[in-house]
Amino acid sequence: MRLFEYQAKEIFREEGIVTPEGILTSSAEETAAAADALGYPCVLKSQVLMGGRGKKGLIPFIQERKKALSEASRLFEGQWAVPRILVEEAVDIERELYLSISVDPERAKGIILVSAQGGVEIESLAQDDASKIHTEYFSLTSGLQSFQITDLSYRITIDAQLVKQFRSIVKALYVIFTRYDAELVEINPLFITKQGALVAGDGKLMIDENSMERQKRFVRTREFYESDMEFEAAQAGIPYLQFDGDISLMCAGAGLTTTVYDLINYEGGRVANYLEFGGPNYRKAYEAMELCLRNDSKVILIVTFGTIARADIMAQGIVDAAKALKPDRPIVTCIRGTGEAEAVKILREAGLEPLFDTEEAVKAAVRLSKEIG
Amino acid sequence: MSIFVDRDTRVLVQGITGNEGSFWTKHMIDLGTNVVGGVTPGKEGQRVEDRPVYHSVRRAVKEHKVDAAMLFVPPRFTMDAVLEALESGIRKVVTIADGIPLHEMVKIREASQYHQAMVVGGNTSGIITPGRAMLGMFPHWIERVYKSGSIGVMTRSGSLTNEVTAMVVASGFGVSTLVGVGGDPVPGTRFAELLPLYQEDEQTEAVVIIGELGGTMEEEVADMMSSKAFTKPLVAFLGGRTAPEGKRMGHAGAIISGGKGSVQSKIEALEAAGGMVASRPSEVGLLLKEVVKGGGK
Repeated sequence: MRLFEYQAKEIFREEGIVTPEGILTSSAEETAAAADALGYPCVLKSQVLMGGRGKKGLIPFIQERKKALSEASRLFEGQWAVPRILVEEAVDIERELYLSISVDPERAKGIILVSAQGGVEIESLAQDDASKIHTEYFSLTSGLQSFQITDLSYRITIDAQLVKQFRSIVKALYVIFTRYDAELVEINPLFITKQGALVAGDGKLMIDENSMERQKRFVRTREFYESDMEFEAAQAGIPYLQFDGDISLMCAGAGLTTTVYDLINYEGGRVANYLEFGGPNYRKAYEAMELCLRNDSKVILIVTFGTIARADIMAQGIVDAAKALKPDRPIVTCIRGTGEAEAVKILREAGLEPLFDTEEAVKAAVRLSKEIG
Repeated sequence: MSIFVDRDTRVLVQGITGNEGSFWTKHMIDLGTNVVGGVTPGKEGQRVEDRPVYHSVRRAVKEHKVDAAMLFVPPRFTMDAVLEALESGIRKVVTIADGIPLHEMVKIREASQYHQAMVVGGNTSGIITPGRAMLGMFPHWIERVYKSGSIGVMTRSGSLTNEVTAMVVASGFGVSTLVGVGGDPVPGTRFAELLPLYQEDEQTEAVVIIGELGGTMEEEVADMMSSKAFTKPLVAFLGGRTAPEGKRMGHAGAIISGGKGSVQSKIEALEAAGGMVASRPSEVGLLLKEVVKGGGK
């Protein structure tokens, strides 16, 4: 779960990391009032989860009240429909650093990345000049040690009087990393102000999905998702991704669903939605089909190869769902695995002619999606 | 021969009295797996499939020699159960748990490295040597998929494994040992760490890897091939060639971020190292026929 910037910064402040003065707003009037209170110039930071906010014009720099009003209206009401704006004071920046803590899966270690060149994407920096990135690995079992922070502080070139501040920021970030089961906690840019202070210009905190059961502080409301459908599917516990094509996928298992997604693209078809039905969801045919039908798709393609999840139970679920929901578009099925013979019988009795080869089923679905036009 | 598990592997089942544990213990034994006992705290004295149950791993290893631990334990108790097995001297551990917290998985892998052990999983069906033994939950009776033969299979995905392995079998081959490393971002054991076992295994003539977008496991395999640490033929099928950047395609580990983890970079690495990459599941069998003499018989 990725948090919004304002949430990450709230946690940063609790742990003693300095952030710019800021006020969270949800209307143009509130934004103008916040800008007045903070003084000009200030920055309007759209609270959305997508990357590259600056390039998309989602972080305008504001010199006066009139502009605060017009820019806030544009952000709230325009194509991005941002739910909130974090209005922040402008900071006198001397330099920008990069600092993050995450996990290195291969080494099975925590990893701290620091660069004296912040503000840019760390990945592009790594490609341009990897020597500009300093790394420090630490054991999650024994924890980050003080000597490691000391050594790291002297590897980056910052003024001696900033070292103490830098050390406490690394320590605070490590506390956040462990306390919030973080996949990634990142400050980019970390400002060095002209007044000689370290200030977190941005904040990114991603909490591990598998740890959500014990991380109850933040609840995933609608604004964490790109669409209503993705939000509703998540509520039902069904993995779902929204696309804008013609073929609704209702497939079993992450690997197979992703492969069917590829095969459709190879055949020149377009996927309307990715949906995993099967595994623990194999009894959720009704919910799955309902989600598919709410898409403006032309075909529903069901591909499964269940071994533990029984094919006949899935087939019965599909037939029952089709009876109840009366789909207005063709359904292509390719259901194999345990209980397959029974599944075929169930589908045929309901007038659905099953296929047995994934690639053949994909071709049939793509053909139908084009015929229907 | 086989890798990791065969009929002589003595297996202890942790969580043996639970629904999943007892159900799959029966099927493991039916296939021929040498299950010597099980563990569930508070249930010592009971028997499952006529095997004795103990309160703890420590108590079980006093009574039995154990080579491998099979865990049917919920995600939040998995780290404890793995550490218990390792601390009791067991050096092969398989966990099927789906949803092990990331930081705990890192700690499990650290402990596994410290003990020079191998922990496979989580988020997997486990390991099967068709026709002989398994650690996990495979419907081993489905011949279309679980047929014995000469192809080693390593996979990140359960559902795709059925699809691809069925193609391998349809092309006249069978499987030596199939290892599901799991779909999590930090698997306990990585593809490259299994390759030396397949290299050593006489039964294995070629290896199929079923990978997907995200992470660097496929690139590590390519490195092993380039350095000649692995020299047998290798065919890969990778899901998510057309996946957009930034979307998690089902598995937690299946995401392209910051330009890293794309299937294209994996294909380039594998092909440069001499591997073959199938673009569709049906191609896997065809490519195997090209590289394995005598159709694997």
